[in-house]
Amino acid sequence: MPDSRSTDPDADFISVRDFSYAYGSTQVLHGINLSIHRRRITALIGPSGCGKSTLLRAINRINDLVEGAAPVSGSIHIDGVNIYDPAVDVIALRRNVGMVFQKYNPFPRSIYENTVYGLRLAGITDRAQLDEAAEQSLRLAALWDEVKDRLDEMATSLSGGQQQRLCIARAVALRPRVLLMDEPCAALDPIATARIEDLIAQLRDRFSFVIVTHNMEQAKRLSDRTAFLYRGKLIEEGDTLDIFGNPAQPLTEQYVTGRLV
Amino acid sequence: MLTRRVRGSWRGSALTQRLIRSGFAGSASVTIIVLALIMLFLLREGAGFLGTYRRELETYRRCGLEFCDLVDRPLAQQEDLAGSLRRALSSSLEPLIGQARARRDEALRLKREVDQLTQTQREVFEQAQALPAAQAAAALPEATKALSAALKAASAAVVIAPILSAKQATDLRLQLSTQIPGKEQPLALINQLQQEFLRVDKEAKARFEGLQEAIETLEEAPEDLRETLSELKELALAAKEQATLHHTLEEGRQKLLNAAQNARDPKEKAALLKEAEASHSEPPDESALQAQIAELREPLVLHIGAYSAKVDQLALHLPEAEIQLPEAMELLQKTAQALPRHAAAMRASVPELRQWKADAPVHLRSVLGAFFFGTQWLTNSSWQDFFGFLPLLSGSLIIALIAIAMATPLSVAAAIYCNQFASPREREWIKPVIEFIQAIPSVVLGFIGISLLGDLLKDLSQLPMLSWIPGFPIAERLNMFNAGCLLALMAIPTMFSLAEDALNNVPQAYIDASEALGATQLQTIFRVIVPAALSGMGAAVLLGLGRVIGETMVVLLVAGNRIAIPDFSDSVGVVFQPAHTLTGIIAQELGEVSRGSAHWQALFMVGIVLFAISLAVNAMARAMVRRFELPKS
Repeated sequence: MPDSRSTDPDADFISVRDFSYAYGSTQVLHGINLSIHRRRITALIGPSGCGKSTLLRAINRINDLVEGAAPVSGSIHIDGVNIYDPAVDVIALRRNVGMVFQKYNPFPRSIYENTVYGLRLAGITDRAQLDEAAEQSLRLAALWDEVKDRLDEMATSLSGGQQQRLCIARAVALRPRVLLMDEPCAALDPIATARIEDLIAQLRDRFSFVIVTHNMEQAKRLSDRTAFLYRGKLIEEGDTLDIFGNPAQPLTEQYVTGRLV
Repeated sequence: MLTRRVRGSWRGSALTQRLIRSGFAGSASVTIIVLALIMLFLLREGAGFLGTYRRELETYRRCGLEFCDLVDRPLAQQEDLAGSLRRALSSSLEPLIGQARARRDEALRLKREVDQLTQTQREVFEQAQALPAAQAAAALPEATKALSAALKAASAAVVIAPILSAKQATDLRLQLSTQIPGKEQPLALINQLQQEFLRVDKEAKARFEGLQEAIETLEEAPEDLRETLSELKELALAAKEQATLHHTLEEGRQKLLNAAQNARDPKEKAALLKEAEASHSEPPDESALQAQIAELREPLVLHIGAYSAKVDQLALHLPEAEIQLPEAMELLQKTAQALPRHAAAMRASVPELRQWKADAPVHLRSVLGAFFFGTQWLTNSSWQDFFGFLPLLSGSLIIALIAIAMATPLSVAAAIYCNQFASPREREWIKPVIEFIQAIPSVVLGFIGISLLGDLLKDLSQLPMLSWIPGFPIAERLNMFNAGCLLALMAIPTMFSLAEDALNNVPQAYIDASEALGATQLQTIFRVIVPAALSGMGAAVLLGLGRVIGETMVVLLVAGNRIAIPDFSDSVGVVFQPAHTLTGIIAQELGEVSRGSAHWQALFMVGIVLFAISLAVNAMARAMVRRFELPKS
């Protein structure tokens, strides 16, 4: 591992080292070591409560506001920067690490305003610049053709799948380097799910994706690499094909074959 | 869930279950039935109002009172106008004669003081004088001596204001010390001061002769008109008295007849019928009255013409040149502008007088108009009662607006702070403390308004540095602003709690999304949380408004209870005027009116409208919440 880190910076783009995390007195992550590759799709899999969402939410520090939630030990570096360093600007971190949630959550405003929300937060007021960014983001999210004539309508008037793609557009508008996705298709029907998966596949060479999913088929279909967590510990990580086809750990094999609950 | 648990744990028979169920249902229906009964009762008592008021207005018209008011109403302004001219005169005179008058008054005051100080000695002296000659000879010198000493001491002791010069003061002391009855020296100085005052006064008045004349002209101008009018008024009042008497008798007779019809005993029935027969009265014949009105109509019109011509003439010849004082100037200019309007209003009454008919029917529409758009709430009047709704409504609305305007920013800001910024420990005490305000009895708040806030406002308003605020300095301690402040305090807990709930109801998903996009806490609050909670906060404001409009005790104690439409000429300063309210009037007057009278029914009408307003405000709040309901997270 240390070798691969020194030879290929892309392979260790996000570097999780001995990372432990606790909510108050309850420790939920124990000494995680994980390398997330640049411009690859990494899937985090594991049964409910295994800590995969916590790990995901630790990468953009969105859990900071939760009472008592804090890392216990270890570090997460993104592109060589320790994101838990007190000198790190959390706001800048979150602009670089976008997030899409399990349940689509556009703000109760127009489609346009949703798309440019992050840019407005950053203080951009130039209309032309916002218009252009909105179009590009919506195109990236494969939503432009569907909504270009009704940008002023409420985002909540869209279908569920469209709303989730709008959330993706909203996240990519800031041109983050990492996109975290917390079960992005859990609330969607199969057709909408397929469209989101296509979208993620199209965007794979633009962003580094970390996707938490319950759906092992989805992990298999989408991801380049897969990490299996169980009870707060990282059991195994590797190429998706290896994890599903030839797991090294018996626990992993039990899980991917559906025998571990 | 609940039913299953009840079923599981309660192993009673089906009957018991049904009983329990109907017990709960009963509680719900009792509440609904009581509400329905309240509405029914209100409507029953209030519904008679339109009929009663219509009858009263018909009498008002038939008996010619309305005819008199056609002239009397515009004429009422004449006294105001004369009054402002008189004020202009007195404020112009004041600087010229003030000094002389003050000097004379000071001298007179000193004389009274010396008299008082030497009272005892004076009495002794007078008693000595009254004694038979022999004894008097012995007692008198003693008493004279004592009195003289006392006079000297007193006139030396009194403090003389610096308005009198040193020489005058010395003279005065000297003259006062020699006032032994029977041998008085003339009080030369006082006389002199009095003469001087009279001279100055005469001179000053001579300077303003033109204004003086104008006042006299205006005061005398309507004499003929008033004479004719009061003749008419007497006739009208007499006719109204007769009509009222007839109505009362007739009502009594109807009651007796009804009782007779229901009586079983034939003897009793006969007695009742006889009694009814005895109270029979002929409806008063108003044709004589109407003939008199017709006869007096043209003279009245002539008087009006003459009077308004005089007023117009006066407006052109107001002696402005003599006036120099700015405030007098302003008064005079205002009057000069008002006089032609007054004349025009008087002339406008002429066609109305000519068209007026005693037997024109009073439409239900105009009864409704007289209630809802009436500008006078006048009761127990010797002339005519009016039940106009506007003075009360305007008072209620202005007070409510003041309260809401003050309570909204406070409670919303407090809710945002408490919900978003406060630490859990702060939250733990902020919320209960704010909600505790609700526990203060409103009568206690009323107290505070009377004893504390009123004085405080009045004192503050007299500070020269605050004189730029419209309405300052305020004349009344008890006014709409004072009441509005206290009502704001009462509305804050409701509004705060509801606004806080609204903020709490904003889905966490929005907050997460905003933060994941790099928003600071303030950005999230003002771009996501507050906009999403806006409808809930709007509902909070509306419910606060409902609370404020319905509140009674505070406004009754603090609003000043003046039944008149506030004078809006002072723009925002209008809030410092006293007013009466919808709720206050019911509380104040319901106990004193006779049951079933028009006044009683009018108060119930006010109650119905109040009820409707509250209902509408509540419905609006609910609709607002429903219309902008957030998706369930």
